[in-house]
Amino acid sequence: MNRIFLINMLLAFTWCMVQGSFTFVNLLFGFAISSGALWLIREQFGTSKYFKRAWLIFGLGVLFLKELLLSVLRVAWLVVKPGNSLKPSFISFPLTVDKPHEITLLANLITLTPGTLSVDVSDDNKTLYIHCIDVSSVDDLRKDIADGFERKIMEALR
Amino acid sequence: MLSYITGTLLIVASIFNLIAAIGLLKFPDVYTRMHAASKAGTLGSGLMLVAIAVHSGEATIASRALAGVAFFLLTAPISAHLLARAAYVAGIAPWSGTEIDHLKGHYKDKEGHLSSDDES
Amino acid sequence: MTASDFFDLAIKISFGLTILSFVLTIGRLILGPTLADRILSLDMLVTLGIGFIAIFTLYTGFYAYLDMAIALGLVGFLATVAFARFLMHQVTGPTAKDAPQPEKIYDELSEEKS
Repeated sequence: MNRIFLINMLLAFTWCMVQGSFTFVNLLFGFAISSGALWLIREQFGTSKYFKRAWLIFGLGVLFLKELLLSVLRVAWLVVKPGNSLKPSFISFPLTVDKPHEITLLANLITLTPGTLSVDVSDDNKTLYIHCIDVSSVDDLRKDIADGFERKIMEALR
Repeated sequence: MLSYITGTLLIVASIFNLIAAIGLLKFPDVYTRMHAASKAGTLGSGLMLVAIAVHSGEATIASRALAGVAFFLLTAPISAHLLARAAYVAGIAPWSGTEIDHLKGHYKDKEGHLSSDDES
Repeated sequence: MTASDFFDLAIKISFGLTILSFVLTIGRLILGPTLADRILSLDMLVTLGIGFIAIFTLYTGFYAYLDMAIALGLVGFLATVAFARFLMHQVTGPTAKDAPQPEKIYDELSEEKS
């Protein structure tokens, strides 16, 4: 996977050298052209997995931006709504992902999603503790995170 | 046309910032206030940098502004997590209306070592 | 209303809203019952400062201010990390036991005087 990304970067640099201009935009353009070239030979050299993963990572980014916007709107509603009807709780979430960088990504995503904020990970990397601003059902929340972000992270990074 | 987009982005972003500040005043304890500051505040200032990127129309400035946005999106959750953890370990009590507290009793010592759910 | 008129109005409105948010955040800084609240509002002040610099960049059209916003973000993040560590270790840190307590120093000083 990393090897194909390196080849992609190398082709982009070659494009810049041939063009004789090392501007950022030209590098991006070269990157786009070289990924196009790699995409053309996906059957012969097996680069289709690379593109599938790139697409999944892109999907994760889009999901993240969408959830961030929703989360801000929800916090905004809680702020603007008259009266104080919050139901905050500390919830434990059993982790399925176990590598440090995956846990970091999951914790960061959880913090920027609706109504949740990751507080700490246990020493044995098995439980993530989350603070929720307004929780109605603990099981629903756990299921949402496990089926949403955690599954997407496992699809994209494994 | 570009000015309309930038102006709208600026107004929306500053409304988000204002909501974060009101939330900071309104919410009952430090953990709930953290929700307002870390989400609405980050998106507010991030959108203002996006407005610069749109308005400048130059690739170098736009890439710098977008790098700044990516930087804020990376660091805001980390500082919120650190602050929430430090507050809980330092013994700042959650609001009395907190319904469920799974964290209670899981901190083994004051250095912040945390036991997992099934261990205890 | 022309495009530049709208843009000027938007900049004025967002300046006003940001200054209002500054005032509200400083209110929490003064009120904040615990140290964590005050650290949180300092963090929020840095975020608002970045937004203010961003509006100022658009107001003057001088894009070098953008670097200042990014640098402020970096320093603000480090400051919050340092404050959080301070909050955690003020009770239990390795030197907390040995460190002189303010009241003790005061007592010693008043004993010396008398």
